Amino acid sequence: MKLTNISTAHDMGIELEIADGLHAGFPSPAQDHAGETIDLAREMVRHPESTFYARISGNSMIEAGIHDGDIVVIDRSLEAQNGNYVAACIDGEFTIKEYLFDAKNQCAWLIPHNKDFQKIKVTADNQFCIWGVITHCVHRL
Amino acid sequence: MYYALCDCNNFFVSCERVFRPDLEGKPVVVLSGNDGCVVSRSNEAKKLGIKMGEPWFEVKRRLGERQEASVTAFSSNFSLYGDLSSRVMSLLAKHTPRLEQYSIDEAFLHCDHLPIHDLKPYYEQVVKQIRKWVGIPVSIGLAPTRTLAKIASKYAKQYPAYNGVCIIDTDEKRQKALQGFAIEDVWGIGRQAQKKLLPTGIVTACDFSQRLPEFAKNLLHKPGLQTWQELNGYDCIDITERAERQSISQSRTFERGITDQATLEKALVDFMSDCADKLRKQRSLCRQFSVYAHTSRFAEEEMQVIHQIVTLPFPTAITAELVGYMLAALRKQWRPYPYKKAGVVLMGLTPADNAQQMLFDERPKERDERLQKAIDHINSQYGKTALKVATQVLNTDQPLTKREKLSPCYTTNLRDILVLKC
Repeated sequence: MKLTNISTAHDMGIELEIADGLHAGFPSPAQDHAGETIDLAREMVRHPESTFYARISGNSMIEAGIHDGDIVVIDRSLEAQNGNYVAACIDGEFTIKEYLFDAKNQCAWLIPHNKDFQKIKVTADNQFCIWGVITHCVHRL
Repeated sequence: MYYALCDCNNFFVSCERVFRPDLEGKPVVVLSGNDGCVVSRSNEAKKLGIKMGEPWFEVKRRLGERQEASVTAFSSNFSLYGDLSSRVMSLLAKHTPRLEQYSIDEAFLHCDHLPIHDLKPYYEQVVKQIRKWVGIPVSIGLAPTRTLAKIASKYAKQYPAYNGVCIIDTDEKRQKALQGFAIEDVWGIGRQAQKKLLPTGIVTACDFSQRLPEFAKNLLHKPGLQTWQELNGYDCIDITERAERQSISQSRTFERGITDQATLEKALVDFMSDCADKLRKQRSLCRQFSVYAHTSRFAEEEMQVIHQIVTLPFPTAITAELVGYMLAALRKQWRPYPYKKAGVVLMGLTPADNAQQMLFDERPKERDERLQKAIDHINSQYGKTALKVATQVLNTDQPLTKREKLSPCYTTNLRDILVLKC
């Protein structure tokens, strides 16, 4: 019996191949597909370089299906469009809201999705940046 | 051929600011291990007269209580800086046929894929992209030699009108750039060279470049002559040669793309083991390394890049430690694509007997070293790979030194991610 190297990990589910001689019969037809698996993280991350995660704290977006304790995926490479949910930083505080640019009044609106909350008007007087666009929300049931 | 040198502005401070936009425009510093000395400063902190390497307690004393309160100080958050650095390098790799990473926040890019007059507008877009995607401000210098590109990047950083990119593409611009550049700030002019240059009356890079080449060679030998040639526009530095004492690397191009994680990891573990071997032979320790893999540049699909830079919490030459950190980093970014090339680069090398390592390292590691010696001994008797490292993933979040002002590991620990008030 020949032992091949054990420089790879067992905790990643990588099989250690122990001696070809141990196998008998036909090779498994599944062998060609070894390593193929669904990886949700991969589906949710289009641009790894610009993708960050954040945790939600509060209830102002509950009607949009974004709950307290959820994890959201943020892509900084995307240009925020009206109607996007964004991670924004206003006067030093990070928040998540729907973004709306109001060309007529030269201001932006951060719109909550919960009738108990007021929308926030953003003007030149605020220190404001759109940090990134929310692409997914991970909610634990 | 042209080179681009991309340098991240005040890198550690910039990393902290990505997650603290409220600190834009304010004095910010990052402190070394044990919160001892200032290792990175925002422009506002520089304006307050805070010096690079200045002990933090002295800064506090000098500024007095009121001014000190205006300065935000952070402990070094290596996981954060390493992760953001990987993102920057991975983006840069998409904009060059060849990337030579020089340090955690600097890389040379070969620019032979574009006509010269397109370089500046092209790399202005790259500067914008990195700022938007990762949040890090960078400066890029473009020139026909690496030494001139480095000088150009300093100008790009200094003058906002350049939009982050400065190009030296005429002899007139070269002359002007050299006239305003102190000789001691030229790449490759170390402290020894400075001492020798002092009595010669040479003050600027221009003064030096206008001497005869024999002068440069006699005074500073081969590296001095190379610097002289590069300042005069002749590309002559072999980056592997210059980096030799500072880095050890190994890479390979695979004939057929590797799509299988175990196979790629095995190859990289072998590279890392070889590099660690060389590291111990030259009696050095490594403080930082990068591991990378990328798909073909010539495929029709977008090139896929894995690029992770790992800054170790302590310098080491122990294979098991290096491999453990490498695999942990690799798995963060693993995606199954046909990888054509992969490699590792060990950087930030220090002599093993350097007392400075004690600043960072407070572990009892005699046992690990004895173990490594035993392994090396067995391998020398029974062949290089008689004993190899099985996977060992170390806990990178373990606090090893005093880091009281540590920011959260926003990108590497799920418990530490940004919180959005809602």
